[in-house]
Amino acid sequence: MTNVDRDGAPDRRLAIAVFAVCFCAAAAIGFVTGEFRPQSVDQPIAFNHKKHVVDNQLGCSTCHTSYESETFAGLPDADICSTCHSEPQGKSAEEAKLVRMIKEQRPLVFNSLFREPSHIFYSHRRHVVKAQIRCERCHGNFAMTTSPPRSVRRLKMADCIGCHEEQNVSVECTTCHR
Amino acid sequence: MTRWAMVIDLDRCTACQACVVACQVENNIPPADQSDSARGRGISWIRLAPFYEGEHGTRPELRLVPLPCMHCEHPPCTRVCPVGATMIDHEGIVGQNYARCIGCRYCTTACPYTVRRFNWKLPEWPAPMEEGLSPDVSVRPRGVVEKCTFCHHRLQVARDKARMEGRPLRDGDYLPACVESCPAEAMFFGDLDDRRSIVARLAAGPRAFRLLEELGTKPKVIYLSKGESGGDV
Repeated sequence: MTNVDRDGAPDRRLAIAVFAVCFCAAAAIGFVTGEFRPQSVDQPIAFNHKKHVVDNQLGCSTCHTSYESETFAGLPDADICSTCHSEPQGKSAEEAKLVRMIKEQRPLVFNSLFREPSHIFYSHRRHVVKAQIRCERCHGNFAMTTSPPRSVRRLKMADCIGCHEEQNVSVECTTCHR
Repeated sequence: MTRWAMVIDLDRCTACQACVVACQVENNIPPADQSDSARGRGISWIRLAPFYEGEHGTRPELRLVPLPCMHCEHPPCTRVCPVGATMIDHEGIVGQNYARCIGCRYCTTACPYTVRRFNWKLPEWPAPMEEGLSPDVSVRPRGVVEKCTFCHHRLQVARDKARMEGRPLRDGDYLPACVESCPAEAMFFGDLDDRRSIVARLAAGPRAFRLLEELGTKPKVIYLSKGESGGDV
């Protein structure tokens, strides 16, 4: 009768303890395997968007070369960076790292933070050029960041549908799903 | 309004199956292995269906009919879907939303043309075929129903291009892979509501018929044959 508490309810504490242990274990496994953790993305250098866009007044298309002409926006590679950074422009450590990478001809691969699932058709040019949607609408305050965030708010279908309804454009499945 | 439709001229078709191959490649459809095929689990969005013609007791003539989704104007499949994963859009394309499909297969049962396929397993391609997947079409997960979409991803691209060039979509801007590949030029595609389009002209001709017309599904795949309507269907 060791597991009977004072109220006479048998094993209640034990049941709660077992549940708590299982819950913590599940949460720990989920966290370790990345199930509940926001997906984090590493970048080769800590690119300062604000410095380029606000301080130096560079347009988005300087680095994202195809956002007005293709379905994809494009991420810069070493060739694009080297047009300005073959020699140091300032004194930042990250820039020094970039210049070194360019000099040593090491590959410079930025990782995409925003990715639509493979069953979605999305065209940057159509949204940016034709519909005149501003970058911030989906990418938030990205141009004001001083270092790349390791994760961003994931866009959901509700974001797309909300905007499509607002703009009075098609919300049929076949418009975007493929 | 636009109503996308296909015309298949059976008098020209040589049953070479180029359309079948083009469809498999275009739409990332994995090849079926022997055990899948034996169990009827192979996937094809367009196939050659055999129909036998002739009197009973005589030597029948085999006719092979390319059979894609009919994109019915009154599709029985969309009405039975409990989750709204399949729908007919305003241009008459019957689409399939794989993210929403729960794999109940009501639609495969409802389809009188048996052109919907259930995905019994994750797709596999023998190396190096997996390198050649089309990025314009999603690879379907296991446990969903898939079907011919009239290659509507090509419509998305064609429409995007036309809008950017500031012009309306022209006849021929958008062709499904099967139509494009047909070496006998037996397949035509276009807007049935545009009276000048080749599909509208052919569909109004004396050789035109539709499969299982009596069901009232109003298919938008129209066959042409100078013989009687498609034989034993």
